[in-house]
Amino acid sequence: MLKVEGLTASAGGKEILRGIDLEIRRGEIHAVMGPNGAGKSTLSAVLAGKPDYEVTGGSVTFLGRDLLAMKPEERSWAGLFLSFQYPVEIPGVSMQNFLKTALAAREKAAGRPPLDAGAFLKRMKEKMALLQMRPEFARRQVNVGFSGGEKKRGEIFQMAMLEPVLSILDETDSGLDVDALKIVADGVNALHTPEKAAIVITHYQKLLEYVKPDIVHVLKAGRIVKTGGEEILERIEKDGFEQF
Amino acid sequence: MVSSNSDFAPASAGHGRYAPFPVPSGSGVVRVPAGTSLQRVFVFPDMCPDDVPAALVLAQEAKADLVFVVLPGSSARIPLTVDLAGPEAQVRLRGLFLSDGEDEVRITVTVHHRHPHCQSRQLFNGILAGKARGTFHGTVIVAPDAQGTEAYQENHNIILGEAARMETQPVLEIYADDVKCSHGATVGALDENEHFYMRSRGIPEAEARVLQILSFLSPVLDAIPDEEQRAALTARVEEAALRCTGL
Repeated sequence: MLKVEGLTASAGGKEILRGIDLEIRRGEIHAVMGPNGAGKSTLSAVLAGKPDYEVTGGSVTFLGRDLLAMKPEERSWAGLFLSFQYPVEIPGVSMQNFLKTALAAREKAAGRPPLDAGAFLKRMKEKMALLQMRPEFARRQVNVGFSGGEKKRGEIFQMAMLEPVLSILDETDSGLDVDALKIVADGVNALHTPEKAAIVITHYQKLLEYVKPDIVHVLKAGRIVKTGGEEILERIEKDGFEQF
Repeated sequence: MVSSNSDFAPASAGHGRYAPFPVPSGSGVVRVPAGTSLQRVFVFPDMCPDDVPAALVLAQEAKADLVFVVLPGSSARIPLTVDLAGPEAQVRLRGLFLSDGEDEVRITVTVHHRHPHCQSRQLFNGILAGKARGTFHGTVIVAPDAQGTEAYQENHNIILGEAARMETQPVLEIYADDVKCSHGATVGALDENEHFYMRSRGIPEAEARVLQILSFLSPVLDAIPDEEQRAALTARVEEAALRCTGL
């Protein structure tokens, strides 16, 4: 589904990704772990098309298409989703209207009529129930006055509504208490199917106790220095990232 | 490009001495009698300039709530004096302007707190595109007798493109010592982080810019009390915003 080869990227002239190779197939959950400053957030930002980063080399293929040539919205339409580490507040725009606008834009881009109001509300209700959210959540302004946990649940709610093929969760566990973490993890697990894939980017292991990764990568100084199974988590737990 | 300043009184006393000006009178003066409320929405270019009062005089415990909506294609002048001429009077002024082409918007607001325990709240948010020019001169004068005053004044502006200009000058003159006053002014660009967040959800560039503009102007649009009028004006702002983005 996703093939990253020799990806290098910099920000403000400083090289951050120094040659990333990564292959993700349908049905897989990948964990990307690493110390602060390893380039984890840069990797997710570059995959989502954030303009602050300059891709200096390598290639990324997503469902047979050149991902790096696509605009951020085109990547979303193609089925990529990024759950932000720091979700952005949008005063005056309700979550419901935000998602309606996003879904309508995608249908329009595909040459389809927009989702009718009834179908949209039905989908919204289902997804909110899945994530144990109160109905009034949809009427609140996007991320305005949300607690850390609400913001992250809001991200997973958006993910549920947009039904991406590949989800990248950037530090989704940061700022969550155990209860919120479990709800988010349950949501991620419930949304996962054999046709989909996810990349879970995290500094800590908490989330990975609930969302079981198939493959674990250790990212350090802009390179993947180790790839393996769950046994790597135990090694990190015991001896940290220094050993790699 | 972003500049801001704000401070919180009681700290800054007015420069020089308090020089009261006379209570406005004559044509163009709207009086709000004691204990009553005035609510008005002014839309440019729909209004004729004479529709807008030159001055408001609020008696004791009177309230006034004015909303100004300036759409492209109008060179609006809003010179307004508000005289809080009785204790516990309250005024709320909110305005938005969306200016494009050769539009020129001049907002000059003077609020005079003469008596104790009055409140004034001002919020003007503007978007300037094309070669539009804007000025905001806002003065709040708090007289020595106006103890317990609350006065807030905000003017925030977004510049789209290279050729638009905005000049903003909020002024507080405080001659009383028991007051809560603040003012803030900013001139900047639309937030790129917010823009990327929207696009990452599949909202294309132009639509994202429009949504950002609506978000920025929402504190003023939300102040329009009549639902039908609010919806109609929001639709006009949305349409105008799309043209202003130039996308």
